[in-house]
Amino acid sequence: MNLARVRGTVVADRRSDGVEGARYLLVEDCSPAGEGRGEYLVVLDLVGAERGQLVMLAQGSSCRWTYRTADKPMDALAIGIVDEIDIGGATVWSEAGRE
Amino acid sequence: MLLARVRGTVVSTHKAGSMEGLRLLLLEKIDPVTLAGKGDYVVGIDSVGAGAGEIVFFVTGSSARMTEATKGKPSDATIIAIVDSIEKDGLFTYEKSKVKTE
Repeated sequence: MNLARVRGTVVADRRSDGVEGARYLLVEDCSPAGEGRGEYLVVLDLVGAERGQLVMLAQGSSCRWTYRTADKPMDALAIGIVDEIDIGGATVWSEAGRE
Repeated sequence: MLLARVRGTVVSTHKAGSMEGLRLLLLEKIDPVTLAGKGDYVVGIDSVGAGAGEIVFFVTGSSARMTEATKGKPSDATIIAIVDSIEKDGLFTYEKSKVKTE
Protein backbone atom coordinates (compact mmCIF):
# COMPACT_ATOMS: atom_id res chain seq x y z
CA MET A 1 0.00 0.00 0.00
CA ASN A 2 1.28 3.46 -0.85
CA LEU A 3 1.35 6.24 1.71
CA ALA A 4 -0.37 9.53 1.03
CA ARG A 5 -1.23 12.70 2.89
CA VAL A 6 -4.80 14.02 2.91
CA ARG A 7 -4.79 17.54 1.40
CA GLY A 8 -8.46 18.18 0.78
CA THR A 9 -11.66 16.93 -0.77
CA VAL A 10 -13.15 16.52 -4.22
CA VAL A 11 -16.88 16.86 -4.74
CA ALA A 12 -18.68 15.36 -7.73
CA ASP A 13 -22.47 15.04 -8.07
CA ARG A 14 -22.50 13.38 -11.47
CA ARG A 15 -20.95 9.94 -11.03
CA SER A 16 -21.21 6.41 -12.35
CA ASP A 17 -19.39 4.66 -9.50
CA GLY A 18 -22.52 3.24 -7.87
CA VAL A 19 -21.07 3.90 -4.40
CA GLU A 20 -23.68 5.30 -1.99
CA GLY A 21 -22.61 8.28 0.08
CA ALA A 22 -19.14 8.33 -1.43
CA ARG A 23 -16.67 10.85 0.02
CA TYR A 24 -13.62 11.61 -2.07
CA LEU A 25 -10.31 12.89 -0.78
CA LEU A 26 -7.55 14.74 -2.58
CA VAL A 27 -4.36 13.05 -1.41
CA GLU A 28 -0.70 13.70 -2.16
CA ASP A 29 1.81 10.93 -2.61
CA CYS A 30 4.32 11.27 0.25
CA SER A 31 7.33 9.87 2.07
CA PRO A 32 6.97 7.84 5.30
CA ALA A 33 7.63 11.10 7.16
CA GLY A 34 4.65 12.74 5.45
CA GLU A 35 6.55 14.98 3.04
CA GLY A 36 4.54 15.54 -0.13
CA ARG A 37 5.93 14.70 -3.55
CA GLY A 38 3.64 16.91 -5.63
CA GLU A 39 1.69 14.02 -7.17
CA TYR A 40 -2.00 13.97 -6.38
CA LEU A 41 -4.73 11.34 -6.50
CA VAL A 42 -8.44 11.22 -5.83
CA VAL A 43 -9.34 8.38 -3.48
CA LEU A 44 -12.54 7.06 -1.97
CA ASP A 45 -12.50 7.55 1.80
CA LEU A 46 -13.46 4.43 3.76
CA VAL A 47 -12.06 5.50 7.12
CA GLY A 48 -13.16 9.10 7.76
CA ALA A 49 -9.70 10.57 7.19
CA GLU A 50 -9.10 14.28 7.73
CA ARG A 51 -6.82 16.89 6.21
CA GLY A 52 -3.22 16.44 7.30
CA GLN A 53 -3.53 12.78 8.19
CA LEU A 54 -1.31 10.11 6.67
CA VAL A 55 -3.28 7.31 5.07
CA MET A 56 -2.58 3.96 3.45
CA LEU A 57 -3.97 3.47 -0.03
CA ALA A 58 -5.19 0.37 -1.77
CA GLN A 59 -4.84 0.71 -5.54
CA GLY A 60 -5.83 -1.30 -8.56
CA SER A 61 -8.13 -4.31 -8.54
CA SER A 62 -7.57 -4.79 -4.79
CA CYS A 63 -9.93 -1.85 -4.33
CA ARG A 64 -12.87 -4.09 -5.11
CA TRP A 65 -12.23 -6.26 -2.04
CA THR A 66 -14.25 -4.24 0.46
CA TYR A 67 -18.00 -4.54 1.08
CA ARG A 68 -18.67 -1.00 -0.11
CA THR A 69 -16.65 -1.30 -3.29
CA ALA A 70 -17.27 -4.87 -4.44
CA ASP A 71 -17.72 -4.82 -8.24
CA LYS A 72 -17.46 -1.02 -8.29
CA PRO A 73 -15.22 1.02 -10.62
CA MET A 74 -12.74 2.08 -7.96
CA ASP A 75 -8.95 2.09 -8.34
CA ALA A 76 -7.82 4.02 -5.24
CA LEU A 77 -9.10 3.82 -1.66
CA ALA A 78 -8.00 5.24 1.66
CA ILE A 79 -8.12 2.08 3.78
CA GLY A 80 -6.30 3.10 6.93
CA ILE A 81 -5.18 6.12 8.94
CA VAL A 82 -1.55 5.80 10.02
CA ASP A 83 -0.91 6.35 13.72
CA GLU A 84 2.83 5.90 13.74
CA ILE A 85 5.74 4.86 11.54
CA ASP A 86 9.21 4.08 12.74
CA ILE A 87 12.31 3.46 10.68
CA GLY A 88 15.00 1.52 12.49
CA GLY A 89 13.54 2.44 15.86
CA ALA A 90 13.22 6.16 15.15
CA THR A 91 9.71 7.56 14.87
CA VAL A 92 9.34 9.37 11.54
CA TRP A 93 5.57 9.85 11.68
CA SER A 94 3.24 10.19 14.60
CA GLU A 95 -0.42 11.11 14.26
CA ALA A 96 -0.37 12.62 17.73
CA GLY A 97 2.62 14.82 16.95
CA ARG A 98 1.89 15.86 13.37
CA GLU A 99 1.94 19.50 12.33
CA MET B 1 -8.47 8.01 -9.50
CA LEU B 2 -6.74 10.68 -11.54
CA LEU B 3 -7.95 14.19 -12.28
CA ALA B 4 -8.06 15.32 -15.89
CA ARG B 5 -9.63 17.92 -18.14
CA VAL B 6 -11.68 16.89 -21.15
CA ARG B 7 -9.84 18.31 -24.16
CA GLY B 8 -11.90 16.84 -26.95
CA THR B 9 -13.42 13.78 -28.50
CA VAL B 10 -11.80 10.83 -30.22
CA VAL B 11 -13.43 9.16 -33.20
CA SER B 12 -12.58 5.64 -34.29
CA THR B 13 -14.63 3.75 -36.87
CA HIS B 14 -12.37 0.75 -37.27
CA LYS B 15 -12.23 -0.77 -33.80
CA ALA B 16 -12.93 -3.94 -31.83
CA GLY B 17 -16.60 -4.88 -32.15
CA SER B 18 -17.28 -4.64 -28.44
CA MET B 19 -16.19 -1.00 -28.50
CA GLU B 20 -19.20 0.00 -30.63
CA GLY B 21 -21.33 2.78 -29.19
CA LEU B 22 -18.85 3.89 -26.55
CA ARG B 23 -18.02 7.59 -26.38
CA LEU B 24 -14.30 8.29 -26.42
CA LEU B 25 -12.88 11.48 -24.93
CA LEU B 26 -9.39 12.90 -25.02
CA LEU B 27 -8.27 13.65 -21.46
CA GLU B 28 -5.30 15.67 -20.28
CA LYS B 29 -4.11 14.97 -16.73
CA ILE B 30 -4.00 18.11 -14.59
CA ASP B 31 -2.37 19.39 -11.45
CA PRO B 32 -5.28 19.73 -8.98
CA VAL B 33 -3.76 22.81 -7.34
CA THR B 34 -2.94 24.96 -10.37
CA LEU B 35 -5.37 23.14 -12.70
CA ALA B 36 -2.64 23.33 -15.36
CA GLY B 37 -2.44 20.53 -17.88
CA LYS B 38 0.54 18.20 -17.55
CA GLY B 39 0.82 17.51 -21.26
CA ASP B 40 -0.02 13.88 -20.48
CA TYR B 41 -2.96 12.64 -22.55
CA VAL B 42 -5.12 9.54 -22.43
CA VAL B 43 -8.23 8.36 -24.27
CA GLY B 44 -10.99 7.64 -21.78
CA ILE B 45 -14.44 6.10 -22.14
CA ASP B 46 -17.21 8.37 -20.97
CA SER B 47 -19.75 6.84 -18.57
CA VAL B 48 -21.13 10.09 -17.14
CA GLY B 49 -21.80 12.44 -20.08
CA ALA B 50 -18.76 14.68 -19.66
CA GLY B 51 -18.15 17.57 -22.05
CA ALA B 52 -15.22 19.59 -23.35
CA GLY B 53 -13.53 21.74 -20.71
CA GLU B 54 -14.94 19.87 -17.74
CA ILE B 55 -12.73 18.46 -15.01
CA VAL B 56 -13.34 14.78 -14.37
CA PHE B 57 -11.72 11.88 -12.62
CA PHE B 58 -11.18 8.48 -14.15
CA VAL B 59 -10.26 4.94 -13.16
CA THR B 60 -7.67 2.80 -14.89
CA GLY B 61 -6.89 -0.88 -15.19
CA SER B 62 -9.45 -3.59 -14.48
CA SER B 63 -11.57 -1.09 -12.50
CA ALA B 64 -12.34 0.63 -15.81
CA ARG B 65 -14.52 -2.33 -16.77
CA MET B 66 -16.78 -2.03 -13.72
CA THR B 67 -19.20 0.74 -14.80
CA GLU B 68 -22.56 -0.05 -16.42
CA ALA B 69 -21.26 1.44 -19.68
CA THR B 70 -18.07 -0.61 -19.77
CA LYS B 71 -19.03 -4.02 -18.29
CA GLY B 72 -17.36 -6.63 -20.45
CA LYS B 73 -15.69 -4.00 -22.67
CA PRO B 74 -11.94 -3.70 -23.21
CA SER B 75 -11.67 -0.29 -21.52
CA ASP B 76 -8.67 0.49 -19.35
CA ALA B 77 -9.56 4.13 -18.67
CA THR B 78 -13.13 5.13 -17.78
CA ILE B 79 -14.41 8.51 -16.60
CA ILE B 80 -16.56 7.95 -13.51
CA ALA B 81 -17.21 11.48 -12.23
CA ILE B 82 -17.61 15.09 -13.31
CA VAL B 83 -15.96 17.25 -10.66
CA ASP B 84 -17.91 20.10 -9.06
CA SER B 85 -15.18 21.33 -6.74
CA ILE B 86 -11.66 20.63 -5.54
CA GLU B 87 -10.60 21.85 -2.12
CA LYS B 88 -7.03 21.83 -0.85
CA ASP B 89 -5.98 23.02 2.61
CA GLY B 90 -9.37 24.62 3.11
CA LEU B 91 -9.36 26.65 -0.11
CA PHE B 92 -11.15 25.85 -3.34
CA THR B 93 -8.75 25.40 -6.24
CA TYR B 94 -11.70 24.71 -8.54
CA GLU B 95 -15.43 25.44 -8.42
CA LYS B 96 -17.31 24.43 -11.51
CA SER B 97 -20.19 26.81 -10.83
CA LYS B 98 -17.80 29.78 -11.04
CA VAL B 99 -16.05 28.76 -14.26
CA LYS B 100 -17.26 29.21 -17.81
CA THR B 101 -16.66 25.95 -19.66
CA GLU B 102 -14.97 26.25 -23.03
